[in-house]
Amino acid sequence: MPELNLSGLVKTFGPARALDGAALSLRGGEVHALMGENGAGKSTLIRILAGLETADSGAVTLDGAPLRLGSPALAEAAGFRFLHQELQVVPALSVAENMHLARPYPHRFGLVDWPALHKAATAALARLGTTHIDPRAMMGSLGTGDQMLVRIAATLLTEGAAPWAYVMDEPTAALTGTEAARLFEAIAALKAAGAAILYVSHRMDEVMTLSDRITVLRDGRHVATRDRSATTRDEIIRDMTGRDLTDLFPRRIPATAEPVLSVRDLRAAGLGPLSFDVAAGEVLGVAGLSGSGREVLLRALIGAVPRKGDLSLRGAALATDPAGTWAQGLAYVPPERRTEGVMPRRALAETVVLPHLGRLSRLGFIRRRAATRLVARLARDVRLKASGPDQPVAELSGGNQQKVLFARALAGDPAVLLLDEPTRGVDVGAKFDIYALIRDLAAKGNAVIMVSSDLPELIGLSDRIAVLAAGRITGTLPAAGLTEAALLTACYQRES
Amino acid sequence: MASFLRHYGSLIGMASIVLFFWIALPDTFMTLRNWLNISQQLSMLVVVAVTMTVVMVMGDFDLSVGAMASLSGVVAAVLFTQGLPVPVALAGALAVGLLGGLANGVLVSLLGILPFVATLATLTMFSGAAFLVSGGKTIFGRDIPQGFADFARSGLPLGTWDGKPVLFPALTLLAAAVTFAVWLVLEHTLYGRRLYAIGGNAEAARLAGVRVTALRLSAFAFTGVGAAVAGLMYASRVASANPVQGDGLMLTAIAAVFLGMTVTRDGQPHVLATVAGVVTLGVMDNGLTQLQVDSYVRQVLVGAIILVAVSISALGRRAIRLR
Repeated sequence: MPELNLSGLVKTFGPARALDGAALSLRGGEVHALMGENGAGKSTLIRILAGLETADSGAVTLDGAPLRLGSPALAEAAGFRFLHQELQVVPALSVAENMHLARPYPHRFGLVDWPALHKAATAALARLGTTHIDPRAMMGSLGTGDQMLVRIAATLLTEGAAPWAYVMDEPTAALTGTEAARLFEAIAALKAAGAAILYVSHRMDEVMTLSDRITVLRDGRHVATRDRSATTRDEIIRDMTGRDLTDLFPRRIPATAEPVLSVRDLRAAGLGPLSFDVAAGEVLGVAGLSGSGREVLLRALIGAVPRKGDLSLRGAALATDPAGTWAQGLAYVPPERRTEGVMPRRALAETVVLPHLGRLSRLGFIRRRAATRLVARLARDVRLKASGPDQPVAELSGGNQQKVLFARALAGDPAVLLLDEPTRGVDVGAKFDIYALIRDLAAKGNAVIMVSSDLPELIGLSDRIAVLAAGRITGTLPAAGLTEAALLTACYQRES
Repeated sequence: MASFLRHYGSLIGMASIVLFFWIALPDTFMTLRNWLNISQQLSMLVVVAVTMTVVMVMGDFDLSVGAMASLSGVVAAVLFTQGLPVPVALAGALAVGLLGGLANGVLVSLLGILPFVATLATLTMFSGAAFLVSGGKTIFGRDIPQGFADFARSGLPLGTWDGKPVLFPALTLLAAAVTFAVWLVLEHTLYGRRLYAIGGNAEAARLAGVRVTALRLSAFAFTGVGAAVAGLMYASRVASANPVQGDGLMLTAIAAVFLGMTVTRDGQPHVLATVAGVVTLGVMDNGLTQLQVDSYVRQVLVGAIILVAVSISALGRRAIRLR
């Protein structure tokens, strides 16, 4: 069995140390989970393996011999294959053709031998235990999970050096339960054939069932490599955060009873009917599995998708479009920061003031000084780390980009703050700042509705947690004393 | 170095073009008369390019402006031949510009057709309409009221030179006024900043409460009116109107906006940068004509300069991304 060893890896980007003594050993025939908070150095380590970055120092050996990396071609020659969340597929070509993109098609009489092409594809898929995918189907007609299986199967077609190590970066992030189960079967098939799988995931459940060993990185350093059978979740979390989880969340302050937002019979695509109230000073958490309506709820409230129902904010009917709801005192932090939130190439101040331009202008003309003052104050409030208001958002870290969106949301002192996955892709330091902001805001009497797939975060921050399943609220639980296991169980329960 | 080139490369390029002609044409180039002449020649292009900038800040563009300029000139001329007073004819031509622009806006923002396809189609329609309205003929001579033609020849007297009065051309003044107005709107009003937001990230803008559909529609209307104004300026300058006289404005205007984008810090369209782009193209044209460079060669040179400027800017940006 091949064995890959990385030790003492250091990689700096300007003043920032992404890796500072990272280490990893990967053996054929194992599933090895790589864990760590965002910013811990996982992606840098993977990029070094893939030849997209070069380490400043450190040793990489394969079966004891030094291994040269530094370009994608070298990584491929070393037998590494990479599966990213964003798959590179050609939707308008067939499954079999997608599998042959990087290699010659079989030919006969100078023409493409279609039967042979499809047979090769079918055989490769079968080696993963996958029989439900037709190699003639258009790639674009497949779900994300099936596309991922096709990509894995394609690696089995290689002539020459067969791949032996698969790096999977959050592979289940966009998969349904069934799709994930199929992926796990494929992983088992690869492992049985002697391949190594480096599995990067935040999902503790998957890691604890799939992996043989777990390596944790923190702040670019190797913390521990543990056998899964000899460790616990709590130990891994301590490894990742360097502290017990209970310290993560600021102390909560009891909410008042005065309802701010009242929702009756809300319906939208894949959602409802559902009803709930949020009180001033309350943080209402929303939990649910993917596809439960969790993704739609806040978009429906802000008016980004068509909706029906009686919604009122402090007694007044709620507008049905974002322009109206922002003006009434709602604020929204969308889940996809880059595509839905910021203007990446523009000065960060432009993103911050955008929903508030109306208030910041007189007779249609922008009051520049007022806008500058506002941005400066908010940047302080959210503890934004940036060179100034003119810095393009794209140059900021994920956490600071998220703080830009928080600054934008806080600018209007919103009656109700809608947070969709508020700490997705945010490093742990910024996470603390964001948690504190949410708590402060609630303490000042603003209402917060927070949708999150991060259960500890939901439990730690919310006063109550509404559980969504199949578009409806199946229960509302007080967060105090709630365990992750109990919340997850509630998520899986369909209404009777 | 790369970032220096990116920030100042185009400005240095523009300055060296001016310097080159100054040295090559010591007697005629750097004179007030020549610059007033250039400014007048460029005034129509400035109006088209500056109002084109309004849609380009949203990441859209409008191919129909040249055809619209032709159409508006012809419409005004035909209304003149019907004996209508000048203000009425001008209002009619501007209304055509507004309607054409609104049509583009509806196609792009309400129906969601790509700007390239939508405005290519309306370009063809406006052009056909210009031929229909004019019967394919040039309208000139006594049909064009003296007052209308005189506008392009008038100006603010600056004094006399060689016994002849020197005027600051009315067309230049008009172009400057349009530039100032569009600059004010794009840089200092709610409306303009929201257009920029749409260009920065349309979905994010929508979720932040920007009425993207309505704004896009209105911006195309703005550009349509700008094209109509330019068509009228052209008709006044040549005291005639034919169905193709504005057609050449479109490509040059887009080229000028792109050239301008190489100057701006963030690589976005910007009104003053667009004017710099127009001036660069105009100065090259003027200088090369004075050097008696063949007009075909001139065309190749102008195209090459645009490519060089845009390439340098793209390379600079890539260097920054790789950092």
